[in-house]
Amino acid sequence: MSSSVMEARLLEKEGDEEVYEVFIGPQHPASGHMRLIVRLEGDVIVGVDPDIGWVHRTMEKLAESKEALKAIPLLERMTIIDSQNVTIGYVRALEKLLGVEPPPRARYLRTLLSEINRIASHLYGMGLAGIFVNHSTMFMWCFGDREVWIQLAEELTGARLTHSYSVPGGVRRDLPQGFKEKALKAIRYMEKRLDEYHRIFFDNPQVRARYEGVGVLKPHEARRLGVVGPNLRASGVRYDARLLGDYGVYDELEFEIPVREEGDAMSRLLLRGDEIRQSMNIIRQVLDKIPEGPILAEKYLRLIPPKLREPALKEGRIKFPGIFANLKLPKGEAVARAEMGHGEIFYHVTSDGSKKPYRVRVVTPSFRNVILFRYLPPGHRFMDLPAIYGSLDYFPPEADR
Amino acid sequence: MFRGKVRRHVEAIATGLKYLVKPNRITVYYPEEAIVLSERYRGMIHYDWDKCISCGLCAMICPADAMKMYRKKGEKKARPGINYQRCIFCGYCVDICPTNALSFTRVHDVAFEKLDEMLYPPEKFTSEWRSPAEERGARRLRVVFDEERGLKHVPEQ
Amino acid sequence: MGLVSSLVRLVLSPQFFGPIVFPGLVTVLAVLLSIIWVERKIAARVQMRVGPLYILRPLGGAIQMLADGLRFFFQEFIVPETVDRVPFLLAPVVAMSFAMLPFAFVPLAPNFKPYTVPYSMPAFLGLNTVIPLTVLAMAWGSNNKFSIQGGIREAYMTIAYEAVLFISAYSMALLYHTLDFAEMVEAQKVPGILLNPISALVFFIAMIMSAGKLPFDIVEGEQEIVAGPFTEYSGIAFGLTMGIGYVQLYGFTLAFTLMYLSGWEPLVAPLYSIYPALGGILLFVKAYLLLVFIVFLRAVYGRYRLDQALRIGWRTLFPLAIVSVFLSIALGVIGVV
Repeated sequence: MSSSVMEARLLEKEGDEEVYEVFIGPQHPASGHMRLIVRLEGDVIVGVDPDIGWVHRTMEKLAESKEALKAIPLLERMTIIDSQNVTIGYVRALEKLLGVEPPPRARYLRTLLSEINRIASHLYGMGLAGIFVNHSTMFMWCFGDREVWIQLAEELTGARLTHSYSVPGGVRRDLPQGFKEKALKAIRYMEKRLDEYHRIFFDNPQVRARYEGVGVLKPHEARRLGVVGPNLRASGVRYDARLLGDYGVYDELEFEIPVREEGDAMSRLLLRGDEIRQSMNIIRQVLDKIPEGPILAEKYLRLIPPKLREPALKEGRIKFPGIFANLKLPKGEAVARAEMGHGEIFYHVTSDGSKKPYRVRVVTPSFRNVILFRYLPPGHRFMDLPAIYGSLDYFPPEADR
Repeated sequence: MFRGKVRRHVEAIATGLKYLVKPNRITVYYPEEAIVLSERYRGMIHYDWDKCISCGLCAMICPADAMKMYRKKGEKKARPGINYQRCIFCGYCVDICPTNALSFTRVHDVAFEKLDEMLYPPEKFTSEWRSPAEERGARRLRVVFDEERGLKHVPEQ
Repeated sequence: MGLVSSLVRLVLSPQFFGPIVFPGLVTVLAVLLSIIWVERKIAARVQMRVGPLYILRPLGGAIQMLADGLRFFFQEFIVPETVDRVPFLLAPVVAMSFAMLPFAFVPLAPNFKPYTVPYSMPAFLGLNTVIPLTVLAMAWGSNNKFSIQGGIREAYMTIAYEAVLFISAYSMALLYHTLDFAEMVEAQKVPGILLNPISALVFFIAMIMSAGKLPFDIVEGEQEIVAGPFTEYSGIAFGLTMGIGYVQLYGFTLAFTLMYLSGWEPLVAPLYSIYPALGGILLFVKAYLLLVFIVFLRAVYGRYRLDQALRIGWRTLFPLAIVSVFLSIALGVIGVV
């Protein structure tokens, strides 16, 4: 790209006095790892150019340069706040290539962690939505209460954020002792807190004034732009990758996919609250219904020497079979989708029969949602820009990969 | 409409006041207090010299190339060493170790003064880990889930 | 001997003691240092945190702001090449001076007025209206896109609150038949807030708008315009710009207490007999508590949008202010006061 093209993209016509151009980011208190080039006429936004790519880390290429299993902790780092959901799609694609299915207990455990991560991710998003209108209490509360769910995830997996929990054929750790009681306590606490959130944030007239009717996304626009996740469902489109039944045990559980019709920033925020309630509902069911059994597919389990396997299983963990260091991917292609907190993530893994995947294609939800920065703000006031940003729950490292 | 608005303003302020009177703090005064990490926490890695059979699986599976096999001149057996500059604590090496020579410790709050110090060749890799906060006599706190407060940090008996 | 006694006489004279010691300069600095700490502690309490702690730990980090202030002094004050130097350098100083001047019109106790005029209330409010102009000067002098946006916001906000602030204050003047703070206090057999609650509410909201505290910290608007008119400031000049809002707010809470919360009444007679200015202690306590409540609102609210603040100013507060005027006249006709 020549420099003239770059300049043309960044600057409006020379000498255009009507339009006032403001660069939000990459060094700005509220830009995140990105830049928004905002064009204003007076106080009204006439154009926003999301300038992404500031945290591009060549995730896809790096994943192709490593043995299949090694890409799991890597891809996790796209959305470190939601690491189970961001990698489950990749693991599913690998499983399809390898022709291995996780045992039921492992699928339940994956679902459990997926929902814990979803709650944490939504709390993160809601907290940022709070600070974007300078509501510091919402920010701190969400991050404080997120700690509860991170603690749960830590007790299950051994790491606060980078769980690396799912591996092809199963999961790495079984439920620890007393986990159910802890999770139920966390759920009851969170239910109370959601009511408090309503009192101080969602029902606060100041917050309502900032978010209601702002950044309205119409259903047909949402479909046309390919928006995913809560942003799509808040516009009245009932689409959720969990409904596809490709991963986890969502087809065995009873839960709702919350949908709202308004499509404005407020409904996007409230929808996240609804989803937290549904996720807690799912966690309850998972803990009730979880069957006994192995947590790794028989195919790999029998490769572990028994004298190593039995003590580990007693401890509630597995050992990797030696083959995991050199997992050969059969030639072929596989795709998988998963629903993250931010929306649907899509993986396309191609293998040429070697240990390393030939191609790993990732389409992340934030990458699909970033287009909204261009379409939602025009016509709004400059002060609405952070409100819209906050309501989208956009995560730059995820979009840039 | 107007009355509802006033009521919701009052509710928001009342909620704020409620927490002002009865705060729900989750801060841990770290250097004086330290949280006891959960049973299966993936902390710094400990290496058992005698159990190791030099299979090299740990170095092979390490996703961050932190683990490397070191071979001394004249010795047949190569042994693993770790570079904590690169380690991401995924724990793959521990999970794949066929003799349980590698194990997790529940220590993670270590700091290094120089980058070189983060390099752990096999001989150094066997050293024991201790939390610097606990060495300085930090109170050990256990994390307890609580319906009212979310997380409570209670002193360990 | 003569020098010392005349010095003491000078310090204890209302003309000096009021603006410089209490409630003026020295007290302002103390309030400034303490209220920011209180604000941070309150917000932290509500927000599951601890807040400033480690500087003077036995008192919960009470001198945190002293440390921050010292840092401001020793931090490099960068003057960017592109700024208009005269307004850029002068405006914060002028703003701070005009934020301090109104204290010359605050009576502390019966017969203790630093500056004796029959119009202390309009003089007090009038001096405060200079500050937005200095903020505009800062914004324009900074020559920065964010600063100019902030300056325009300041201009709009001034339109939103200034009229209602004055009208609601004048409604109290109508009620008490005087424009002097001291006479207002004496006229309050019942606290003014009970006589004319509408006026009190309007004045309360307008003074938060004027000081630019949440939910009306629109001018600083961190999430959109970094720090608004103060974006280019660093070092001690930034410290000054940060302090202006608090000083203004402290002045307004004193005025609010004088007009609506019956000022220094009930007078603490023993203290008053030692030295008249000490009779103002209750005035100060009331004002400080009010100040604490206002900074507590930071933990409850976010920021309103600029047009919403204007709407609140003109659609809600302005009619209410007019109503408060009629209410005052009605009360005056009945002869309540």
